[in-house]
Amino acid sequence: MAQIPNLQNGPINFTPIRDQSQKELLTILKNIRGKKCLVIDPKLGGSLSLIVQTSLLKEHGAELHHLNADPIETNCTKVVYLVQTQLHLMKFISSHIHNDTSKGLQREYFVYFVPRRAVACEKLLEDEKVHNLLTIGEFPLYVLPLDEDILSFELDLSYKECLTDGDTTSLWHIAKAIHKLEFSFGLIPNVRAKGKASVRVADMLNRMQAEEPVNSTDMGVPEINTLIILDRELDMVTPMCSQLTYEGLMDEFLHINNGAVEIDASIMGANQQDGKKMKVPLNSTDKLFRETRDLNFEVVVQVLRQKATSMKQDYTEMTTTNQTVSELKDFVKKLNSLPEMTRHINLAQHLSTLTSKPSFLGRLDMEHTIVEAESYDICFEYIEEMIHKQEPFVNVLRLLILLSVTNAGLPKRNFDYLRREILHSYGFEHIATLNNLEKAGLVKKQEGKSNWLTIKRALQLVVEDTDTTNPKDVSYVFSGYAPLSIRLIQHAIRSGWRPLEEILKLLPGPHTESKRSAFANSPSYDILPGGLRMDKVEDGRRALVLVVFIGGVTFAEISALRFLSSQEGMAYDIIIGTTKIINGNTLTESFMEKLG
Amino acid sequence: LLWKESWEMAKNPMASRGSPLHGPRIKLIEKAQSLFSETKEHAFESKAAEEHARLLRIQHELEVSTKQPIFVDSSISDTIRTCIVLGNHRAALKVKTEFKVSEKRWYWLKVFALATIRDWDALEKF
Repeated sequence: MAQIPNLQNGPINFTPIRDQSQKELLTILKNIRGKKCLVIDPKLGGSLSLIVQTSLLKEHGAELHHLNADPIETNCTKVVYLVQTQLHLMKFISSHIHNDTSKGLQREYFVYFVPRRAVACEKLLEDEKVHNLLTIGEFPLYVLPLDEDILSFELDLSYKECLTDGDTTSLWHIAKAIHKLEFSFGLIPNVRAKGKASVRVADMLNRMQAEEPVNSTDMGVPEINTLIILDRELDMVTPMCSQLTYEGLMDEFLHINNGAVEIDASIMGANQQDGKKMKVPLNSTDKLFRETRDLNFEVVVQVLRQKATSMKQDYTEMTTTNQTVSELKDFVKKLNSLPEMTRHINLAQHLSTLTSKPSFLGRLDMEHTIVEAESYDICFEYIEEMIHKQEPFVNVLRLLILLSVTNAGLPKRNFDYLRREILHSYGFEHIATLNNLEKAGLVKKQEGKSNWLTIKRALQLVVEDTDTTNPKDVSYVFSGYAPLSIRLIQHAIRSGWRPLEEILKLLPGPHTESKRSAFANSPSYDILPGGLRMDKVEDGRRALVLVVFIGGVTFAEISALRFLSSQEGMAYDIIIGTTKIINGNTLTESFMEKLG
Repeated sequence: LLWKESWEMAKNPMASRGSPLHGPRIKLIEKAQSLFSETKEHAFESKAAEEHARLLRIQHELEVSTKQPIFVDSSISDTIRTCIVLGNHRAALKVKTEFKVSEKRWYWLKVFALATIRDWDALEKF
């Protein structure tokens, strides 16, 4: 199955975005004549594989390499680097060039920054005295369609950069990306933002519109009706909880990277024992996955079992009774889905062995206790014991963040005690990580009273008796906890921020709601006060809401949003934009700093 | 600013890893500690740096006495475990008292370490 997802069936067609990126990349390659060696930043490799097939790159005379510290070995006289603007990558490039010159090799070098050049990087190249040997360009990849309803801006560090380093470059990238989208799909008339970063992005968006306006008259009806921007900072509880949807769980355990997981071939039923890895693509082109990805994992197992039994039944019928040709045809059609079936049964089986472990169940239990704010002491002791047993550091930090966020920090005595135990158990070098988390406000000293209980009650975050098989509410994705972020979006879509003022005040950052001025003179876009236009767009399609998460979104939240837009009485389709798909581990790891 | 400066100091020693004696590293950490201690808010960091320096000294001694370069750069808990695994209970106890390791943590470490070397008799006894 193709790893590049089919984008045409989504609520909005993202194919032009992908095609444009592909064209831009190929133009870069075409402009450099002859054979060339394409050296790719490993972080970009995954994104590129979603835009263009490697075979196509090879057709354009490119030889592929990953960028690392080792000098590249190639016969090509032209070297093209495709890199993100990270300083350590510049060091690699300059060391490559120095290595070549010391050997007396003469090559042409091209550096393309994704998505745009940065002064700091060029300065470093100048300092290394290689700047004049380089041709520098940009590959403006701002948005990457991950699936038919998900766009990623591929800014994995934006959350940490904003919160601990005070570096807000990524916000400009996000605004630029949305603005680029508007060029394809029309100016978005309603913008709602909550959180410091989100409000800034909304401001930048307006400024960009003023400087370089999207011409609304020849675009016709804008395809996206409303834009909702949220900071991840608003809801740090959700990503720290273990996701329980099929796709979310898979991400927690196997880490989905750009729409594919890499796992041992033996899990997928292959016979080799050599520990070979294989890549399994996961996107909506796979029908069975499309059906199951958003379900609670408990249900997925049932669904798979059902399908397998019905197939077996068909098979026995087939062998015992005489069939007409058309029945045979139906049967063969069903058989075609067999590879998908086996694939998911294998994956689900592997996940079941992992989820039935007592350590996982214990953690789940603890997460629920913390979210329900039942007993602080039990949670504190549980974390203490985890540290003493030297369980994986990330797991400890996840629970610690959860505990700290829901309690507005830890009492000073506990805070210092746990920090000391952590340093003793895991080593003093982790003080940098703890410091980052403190700066970001994720694990900190207690200040004031926690308002988690109020928020929890007002937004009904904990739902009793959640039916995971026939869910009526988004809380099914965490078996009883409804993500705070999703609740906010539910309200924002239904009625705007106004009825929510009191709650919004309890969450960090300001909120804004604005109508874009380009439509002031077209009365048909007037909206009811505080609400969206409830009727549908002219051509019968449902109105579109773009939800942007600054700082990343989890698969469980995506599932919850898909669930929302599939609900009856919901007048909107939801598409999602994010800086990156995250889970508790990847988010926490972005704060971990390695000294030395 | 002072804080930032001392932060750099704390980072530095890690960068200078690899020097066989680790002498300069300990000195740097001690310097970081004194910088931390100049401000009130960083009592915790100061204490951590001080302990870190002390830990490195002990680890260094252990490496010399056991002639195995496996101690430096491991955490306090790891050091205790390594000591028990090597059967050096006295050294383990010494590290324990030196850093005031709580009984709770001590028992976990001891159980894990004894289980690793399958010393079931000792496990039974304690």
